[in-house]
Amino acid sequence: MAARLRPARRLVYLYFRCLGQQMKAILAYEADFVVLLFSAAIVQLAGFAFIWTIFQRIPDINGWTFWQVVMMYALIFITEGVGSLFFEGTWWLSWLVYSGEFDQVLVRPVSPIVQVLAGRVGFNGLGNIVTGGVLMAIALTNVPIAWTPGRVLMLVVLILSAAMIRVALNLGTAAIAFWIRAPWSMVPMFVHQLGEFAKYPITIYSTAVQAVIVVAIPFAFVSFFPTAFIFGVDAWSLPGLLTPLVAVYCLFMAVTVFNIGLRRYESTGH
Amino acid sequence: MHLRKYAAIAKASLEVIFVYRASFALNMVGTVFYVVAMFYLWQTIFLGSPGALGGFTWPEMKAYLLVAFLLNSLMTWFDEWVMGRDVREGRVAVDLARPIDYQTKRFAEAVGPIPFELFSALLVGSVVVFVFGGIALPTDPAHLALFIVSVALATLLKFAIIYCVSMTAFWTTGMTGIVVGRVAIQNLFSGALIPLVFFPDWLRAIAAVLPFQGLVSTPALTYLGKMDGPTTALMLGIQAVWAFGLLLFGRLLWRGAVKAVTINGG
Repeated sequence: MAARLRPARRLVYLYFRCLGQQMKAILAYEADFVVLLFSAAIVQLAGFAFIWTIFQRIPDINGWTFWQVVMMYALIFITEGVGSLFFEGTWWLSWLVYSGEFDQVLVRPVSPIVQVLAGRVGFNGLGNIVTGGVLMAIALTNVPIAWTPGRVLMLVVLILSAAMIRVALNLGTAAIAFWIRAPWSMVPMFVHQLGEFAKYPITIYSTAVQAVIVVAIPFAFVSFFPTAFIFGVDAWSLPGLLTPLVAVYCLFMAVTVFNIGLRRYESTGH
Repeated sequence: MHLRKYAAIAKASLEVIFVYRASFALNMVGTVFYVVAMFYLWQTIFLGSPGALGGFTWPEMKAYLLVAFLLNSLMTWFDEWVMGRDVREGRVAVDLARPIDYQTKRFAEAVGPIPFELFSALLVGSVVVFVFGGIALPTDPAHLALFIVSVALATLLKFAIIYCVSMTAFWTTGMTGIVVGRVAIQNLFSGALIPLVFFPDWLRAIAAVLPFQGLVSTPALTYLGKMDGPTTALMLGIQAVWAFGLLLFGRLLWRGAVKAVTINGG
């Protein structure tokens, strides 16, 4: 058992070593770091002001209250923050494959996925996590929720699962780079942008849009269903329980697609 | 005078978009999702509340959102990042050696892609109109004429703001963060997200002293004929003062920045 654990621990260790090197590179430019942090915070405050202004005029949107919408909004930003802070590397996969730099990844004795994920750090993610976290804390304390140990645990599980879904979507769509050779791929960004729909309760959309963000690209499990579960909105909270399963499914699919793509990789110059 | 020089720069800038059409298309897709989400959100809000909200009916609100989208789609290609790259890579030195005015050159570059941006935005806009139904058109041709004037001023103002903010490139290389931050503040205070009348008084007071309202709110309200004659004249005046004031301010900033560069360069 110990022998089986060791490779996993080594992977985690290597992952953070890779990430740490990237952090050093970024921290060398102090002003850039501060600017990125603040810009992420400003984006969220502007978004919060927008939602707040709407709710100054109306009591609810389709039955969804202010704090519930803030919670969805916060979840989108926290998970986005986790994605950019720890797993920004997926956005560079296209370039690695196109330029042939991916060769370097293959000759190292570490899982290519770990290397890709740890390849970059997006410090704007820290700003997103902090402000998103604050917004979420405010939302959760402004509503009477019967906090039991189980519910607290569920909140943690839901946030982690939501982040996992987004990282899996990034990784899976980035892996398209193995099929389409271009310095930059549209597909991951296209899917990423779909997250725009998940900032608001999905009940406001037509069935077609709902189908896309529930089934095809499960963004609804990043914000909407977890919020419904935590706030105990009975009609929608049951799918919230499925969030961890959806996360595992997404990650499994992403890794599978990546590994199939990996076998197709041939370096430049062939 | 040297109009042909700058026309050539504008044309080259437009051609760049055709080279990077995939990136441009992607930018558009991002805004499409955003606009569609906003339409659904506002539709739900308006259908859920009887009559007008903040003095807007649903058809008026649709028109407002669409005009806001059109205005936001212009001059999206040449943002602070371009100047950031030029400073970082030292291309600014080449620009200084050229017999052209730097600000005018930048303006030509920013304006060049507008026909294409307008075309794509109209294309997207018509799809949205197709899905969400008709929008309010200006009842008075005078409003339409004033609207066009206001759009021209808004474009000039947007350039002036971006130009001023670009000067931060001399102090930081983190232009991505700068662009993102500027766009967020601009979207809130220009009225692109929500008409400014919806704001509580204190937030509206802040918006009123900032230049951003001239980017979306003033042209959109002119389009809808929401302001009476004197107010329209006043708002267009404020727009013009900000536009030309910031253009001038940008020139001063540039002069100061260039001096700093010369000193650092030895």
